[in-house]
Amino acid sequence: MDREPLLKRKTAISYKTEEETVLRGYNLSDLAEEGYTFCDALFVLFQERLPTENEEKMLEYETAEFLEHSMSPSAAGAIAVISGRPHLPAAIAGAVMTFGSAHGPGAAHGYMMHRYIERARVEGKTIDEMGKILVDEYINAGLPVMGLGQPQHTDGDPRAEPTHIKHEELGISGVYLELQRSIEKHFNEWRKKNGKSFVAVNMIGAGNTALAELGFSPNAAWCIGCVCRGFSCAAHALYNMKKGHAWAASKREPMVQMLDLSMIKYIGPDDRPVPSQEERQEYAKKQKKEGEYKKWAL
Amino acid sequence: MGTIGNLDDPRLPFDYSKREHGNVEPDSKRARFQWVSEVAYKNVHRVVSRGYDTTELVEQGYGLADIIFIDFQARIPLVEEKNMLNYVMILALDDGLSSPAAISRIVSSSQTLLTQAAGASILAFGHAYGAFQPFGEMLDEYLSTAEKEGKSLTEIAEALVETHLNDEFLGVSCLMLKDPAAKRMFARAEKLGVAGKYIAFTREIIKAAQKISQEPVDLDMLGAMGATMMDLGFSPEATWVILAVTRAFAGGAHFCEQTEREPFERFGQRLTPKELYDGPEDRAVPSLEERRRFAAAEQYKTPEEWKKGFDEKKKMKGTGWAIVEDIADPRTMKK
Repeated sequence: MDREPLLKRKTAISYKTEEETVLRGYNLSDLAEEGYTFCDALFVLFQERLPTENEEKMLEYETAEFLEHSMSPSAAGAIAVISGRPHLPAAIAGAVMTFGSAHGPGAAHGYMMHRYIERARVEGKTIDEMGKILVDEYINAGLPVMGLGQPQHTDGDPRAEPTHIKHEELGISGVYLELQRSIEKHFNEWRKKNGKSFVAVNMIGAGNTALAELGFSPNAAWCIGCVCRGFSCAAHALYNMKKGHAWAASKREPMVQMLDLSMIKYIGPDDRPVPSQEERQEYAKKQKKEGEYKKWAL
Repeated sequence: MGTIGNLDDPRLPFDYSKREHGNVEPDSKRARFQWVSEVAYKNVHRVVSRGYDTTELVEQGYGLADIIFIDFQARIPLVEEKNMLNYVMILALDDGLSSPAAISRIVSSSQTLLTQAAGASILAFGHAYGAFQPFGEMLDEYLSTAEKEGKSLTEIAEALVETHLNDEFLGVSCLMLKDPAAKRMFARAEKLGVAGKYIAFTREIIKAAQKISQEPVDLDMLGAMGATMMDLGFSPEATWVILAVTRAFAGGAHFCEQTEREPFERFGQRLTPKELYDGPEDRAVPSLEERRRFAAAEQYKTPEEWKKGFDEKKKMKGTGWAIVEDIADPRTMKK
């Protein structure tokens, strides 16, 4: 049996021999035997260190809380993919891949915080001053300030503020939480001044801030959040696989299904005759010249 | 407009010239579409999994492994069960530069988002690597036979091994003869009091395999994790995806390391040396006019012709003809 690595790469993450699998210097089996948790192991994976008990608690809190979020793009993605009945991992992979610049943009939020903390250092400003500068710059550029607002939880994500509070309670707050709190304060001051309603912190603002404070890089933090959601997406996909109808279009169901024909609302060009091959070249020239197609081109 | 192509063929199931245009009207006779779920719901102020408010859960001190139990099994696990799941997940987290890490790195090398690489690593879990579904289904099938036919675990383990000795999903192999990690997992499950019928049965499978195998074999990590997860109450499918997702965290670390240490790949950059090629000899491309002389149709008129052609096609690597996938056989399906 070929047991060579699939890729020849130098790696600082782990090695595996016939005798053991070693992650950042720790034998995985020994870690488990000593009673460390999976969250402890995530610190080892991404930071080459074992966390303090409170750091581990914070990560447990956050991953447990972030794991399930009912119907978000990720769960909806998993359900849509599994409706075609591929192997389960395809649905879960699809779900994890829904995380991008709108759904859980954790890495971007992390990089935003790094940029402004660095500027505070270089420009000799306080974190609070830099929070205001950040808000002003984002608003002036017409960019959404990351970490605030949630389209479903319009009064504030029920998980977010408790995460901030836990962050403080566990005594692990630092520059990241200070900056995030400052962003929230200055953003809402601006909104109030402009007659706009209060917008609460969301799980990126709260959760990603805590992950940053725990020492995770923007991408490591993003990985933890998004992959953790994969667990619940797996449950949603599995539920639909075992108890739902494949294809999601059955007419026999008492409820209109996700892919029932009536769920489709087409708003594109009106139906039009297909030109014959003899007519095609003239037709295509005219169509291109008139340019109406540009209205529809994506 | 006259007839288009074959669209007036009498064999068509309806009159194509009279097809309706436009959207289908909303169905007012049935309930509107909703995302039906037994798993979770949320409203403006709550996220609820299997009846438990997730913020209340974490404020009460429940952690990641607890929520996995709640999501998949709709129950709060015993402390021992939670500890055992943490144990299994630590062992599932990393496996060196194996398939999930390699996939994640290949995806990363194109300069993608981390979520693409970590997500893609999950796709490494199939029915050979990470074959927790077939492994679990195999155990369930044989345990059910034992119960129906009143056979002992030893008897059915021997029958199972006779059929599956060389299968990738047996859970017993030569992979962990020197690494005690798999055996320690069973010992820990027994010590925590969470070992049940699946671990007991797998122990019988090991004995049966050791009796007839030509080479030394023992419990491997697939068997250890698969049986332990099923004794924790997870279905074969749940086990499969929970462990695949667990590994994806390491997929994320490999994304980071690949990006930090290696250059990005460019489109068209990689060469494939001719020494690696063993397909048809280099040949001249015929002109379109010459095609009539070169091209031969490959349709078969009889099952015999088809079989002959089928066997010929199997010799061409990379065409898919030599792959046989097992699909459901209605003759052996239970209602």
